[in-house]
Amino acid sequence: MLLQLNNIFKWVNSGGQRIFLLKDINLEVEEGEFISIMGPSGSGKSTLLNVIGMLDSFDEGQYNFLDESVHTLKEKHRSNLYKEYIGFVFQSYHLLDELTVKENLEMPLIYKNFKGAERKAMVADMLDRFNIVGKKDLFPAQLSGGQQQLVGIARALISNPKLILADEPTGNLNSKQGEEIMDLFKQLNEEGVTIIQVTHSEKNAEYGSRIINLLDGRMI
Amino acid sequence: MNFLKLAFRRLFRKGEHAFTRIISLAAGLAFGLLLLSEVLYYYSYDSFYPDSDRIYVVHENFKMDQSSDKLESHPRVSGAIAPGLQAEVPGIEAATRLNSLGDHVVYTEDLNSYDANISLADEHLFDVLPIPMVSGNPKEILKSPMTCMVSQELADNMGGNVVGKVISIKNYPDKELTIGGVFKTLPENTNYTYDVLVSMVSTEQFTWDGTNNWMGNDRYYACVKLNPGVKPADLVPAVRAMQVKHQDIEKLEEEYHGIVLQYSFEPIKQIHVNNVKDMIIILATIALAVLFVSLMNYILLTMGTLVTRAKSSAIHKTCGAETKNLQQMIFSETIVLFGISIVGALLMIWALKPIAEAQWGHSLVSLLNPYVIIPLVSLLVLLVFVTSYFPGRFFSRIPVATAFRDYKQKRGRWKLVLLSFQFVGATFILTVLVIVTLQYNNMKNADHGYVAKGVYYGSTQGMDGNKIATVLHELRSMPEVESVGLGFDVPINGASGNNILSMDGKRELFNVADFYEVDANYLSILGIKVDEGDDFTSNQAVANDVLISKKGAELLKLNNGWTDGVIGKQITVTEHGSTTIRGVFPDFVVRSISDPDVRPSVFFYLPEVKFEEQKIENPSASFNIMVKAQEGAQDGLMDKITEAFNIGFPLDDAEIKSLEAEQLDAYKSEKGFRNAMLIGNFIILLVTIIGLLGYTFNESARRRKELAIRRINGATLLDILKAFISDLEFVAIPAVLLGLTGAWFTADKWMQNFAFKAPLHWGVFAACSFFILILVALIAAINYTRTANQNPVDALRQE
Ligand SMILES: Nc1ncnc2c1ncn2[C@@H]1O[C@H](COP(=O)(O)OP(=O)(O)OP(=O)(O)O)[C@@H](O)[C@H]1O
Ligand SMILES: [Mg+2]
Repeated sequence: MLLQLNNIFKWVNSGGQRIFLLKDINLEVEEGEFISIMGPSGSGKSTLLNVIGMLDSFDEGQYNFLDESVHTLKEKHRSNLYKEYIGFVFQSYHLLDELTVKENLEMPLIYKNFKGAERKAMVADMLDRFNIVGKKDLFPAQLSGGQQQLVGIARALISNPKLILADEPTGNLNSKQGEEIMDLFKQLNEEGVTIIQVTHSEKNAEYGSRIINLLDGRMI
Repeated sequence: MNFLKLAFRRLFRKGEHAFTRIISLAAGLAFGLLLLSEVLYYYSYDSFYPDSDRIYVVHENFKMDQSSDKLESHPRVSGAIAPGLQAEVPGIEAATRLNSLGDHVVYTEDLNSYDANISLADEHLFDVLPIPMVSGNPKEILKSPMTCMVSQELADNMGGNVVGKVISIKNYPDKELTIGGVFKTLPENTNYTYDVLVSMVSTEQFTWDGTNNWMGNDRYYACVKLNPGVKPADLVPAVRAMQVKHQDIEKLEEEYHGIVLQYSFEPIKQIHVNNVKDMIIILATIALAVLFVSLMNYILLTMGTLVTRAKSSAIHKTCGAETKNLQQMIFSETIVLFGISIVGALLMIWALKPIAEAQWGHSLVSLLNPYVIIPLVSLLVLLVFVTSYFPGRFFSRIPVATAFRDYKQKRGRWKLVLLSFQFVGATFILTVLVIVTLQYNNMKNADHGYVAKGVYYGSTQGMDGNKIATVLHELRSMPEVESVGLGFDVPINGASGNNILSMDGKRELFNVADFYEVDANYLSILGIKVDEGDDFTSNQAVANDVLISKKGAELLKLNNGWTDGVIGKQITVTEHGSTTIRGVFPDFVVRSISDPDVRPSVFFYLPEVKFEEQKIENPSASFNIMVKAQEGAQDGLMDKITEAFNIGFPLDDAEIKSLEAEQLDAYKSEKGFRNAMLIGNFIILLVTIIGLLGYTFNESARRRKELAIRRINGATLLDILKAFISDLEFVAIPAVLLGLTGAWFTADKWMQNFAFKAPLHWGVFAACSFFILILVALIAAINYTRTANQNPVDALRQE
């Protein structure tokens, strides 16, 4: 079992009222699964993905990652998971503005303590694979939304994560690019990588082995 | 990752306020470090002597006034004390004494002249206070009669190779000193300085020889080096035994019913610190206030970049960065910013160098000693650590999702707190500045009780006695000169002391500021009017008659039970003998208002011709020739007077001073202090304004939507400003009150130095508070108006 969410609740207090973002989420994910989370805008998809990625806290329930309770997870252990295990693709890319494309890609490798020469080779490989060699010295602000998204995906994949958490990875890509990414995900999944993606597109959801539907923070 | 490279890149990013952060930090560091380094410098005094922890200066403690129990401490002792201590007190490894002859003009054989501070020193000097020698054997030199050694600086000025050469002193014609060696010039941070050391066995060639005196003639700077582990308290019994044996102290104590004279040992490193204790407190307070404010501002501006920073920290975290990495990142950034600021601060200090050196009275280079450098570098390291550690922790604790979800700055009470610290500092410095300025102006312009304007004077030191009459004649024939007179001292330089004895001659009644002899014109030149009895222009005046100040006259009446005034009465004054009181004049300021000599003062009469005779008889005697200029005639007068004086100087090296300028000079340190405050004030205000701009800018950005909604709902600009500004003033008012309190305490402490205090009107405090409060309101109003005047629809759309 890779991860297991039991009766997860998340809420915010606003004007004396408790607004639920996630309600009674129960989810088990095995290694090697490819899951798509779907639901209307504002239904809590990103929130759930963040909880799964331990980027956000929850208020009630039990969450185990690799059979360890996330609650008791030490900060150090968590950053090790990010380093060794999980790759994030964000809905709004979250590239570092002050770094070039090349440097953005290199960053996870630095925290993984790869040697300079190795890093260079891996970055060059990724640039090649995503067809952005020409952009390697540009800053994120100089790229289009789609290009930024590609860089974001490339950065998530560069350290060969075993779990990919992707929030609408193809939202800003044209259909051909989107298809390529999905094919890539499929291929990685076949190699054993677990993937959890948020998507609005039925077609993309088809790539997955399981679909989770959210509505108002509740699984339906 | 190369965090340094990143940090440099960040410098040029918009919204990071890097430039403002650097400027305000650099200005604060420059001023704060300069002041702090001066304070630390005080603690480095005399630490260059080897084993300085074991070196003590012998102090003499005695009762100035028999009726009180308070002991006065005096850092000079009689000649025999140092050798006595060495011989009779166990625990003393070595003892030495120096006897200062003061500042002199020294001639080489080629008749070139040099200014030099000269001291007589015994042969044990280098056992206690050694300095490296360039050439010569100090012990031999200080043992040999009429032999001296000179500092390397003086030797270099004299042409380098000086050993074996002969020098003479302007004030002691016909006395020749052979240079036996050269010592490394003393550092500036010493409480006893000299350029020339003359063997003490030569004393009687220059002054009365008190080297073997057990009491009186207490003008010797005596230093001892204690054996390791010995404390001054351990010496007390043996010192007492020495006093009993040589001073017959027990009998004296019986006669005077109590303590007469005691010796204490002050650590040499503490001497200067004790002298400037108040200054240390004040300088340190101001320095820390400035540093604190600029640091608060730095943190405030740094936190202003929170939104972008929180987000990028979060991204790093999702890529596997640990808290440690984030801290490294912020640390490198802080290092870069501080590094640039420190370089900027050093440049500013460099630019301020002439002002600082004039104010401190020593070169800035001499600040570069471990006593200054080590604490300052530690302080900087601490600052870098604190300003990077806490933000690092802070950012690493923001949950990633929170940072990504368009991390909104909270209401930011803490920002107001940081800002209010700046208001405290700004009010503090501003108020202290105003008070210091008031005090300085008050002293400068105060009535000193005598006229200084248009009065010039020059010493006859080195003048040919036979030419004095010619010089006086020449001066009197100048149309610009109103009158010319003679006297030993001028009020601004202070006076030495003598005692007026009781009628039976057995008791000392009180001590007076003794101005010694003056001629008939002296008092009118200074505009001092004798308002009881006659002055010395009266033809009844005979040599050695005395004029006494009002205060003295009252004391005489009281002590002697005189009911019919003092005029015509006989009194006995030590050193002067019996004399007749001719008149009484109002007390004037002796020395300066900041450091007044409050004793009654006296003048003795000596006719002009007698002055001349004295000088011919004893060429080393010297007094002043005083010149009072006609009103209006000032241009180039000083040069003309100098020319006239030079008739009497074989080498044409007369030096004329303006009494007015000397008087102003007496308030130099107050002026310097005011200037320092002025600069500090400028920096603090600058930093605070930057802080305020930053705060209101961030705040109006944060509340842009709120502003827009209020406007759409019909709020006027005034309503909005009122709401926003009252938020600010809510913290500003208590901060200002706190700053005022601090200023009041500091100013009060500083004012304790002055007998004459400028009145501290409450209006000063009110005005300073209003200034700060209005400044706050004004800056806020300007910045908020800009935001409020934006089209509300635009503001809302941007959200
Ligand atoms: N920390 C928070 N505080 C307040 N509201 C929040 C917080 N986090 C999420 N929400 C709200 O919860 C709801 C769900 O947000 P979430 O981003 O998960 O939606 P989503 O399903 O990803 O939508 P989209 O498809 O538009 O990306 C939204 O209404 C959002 O405003
Ligand atoms: Mg979403």
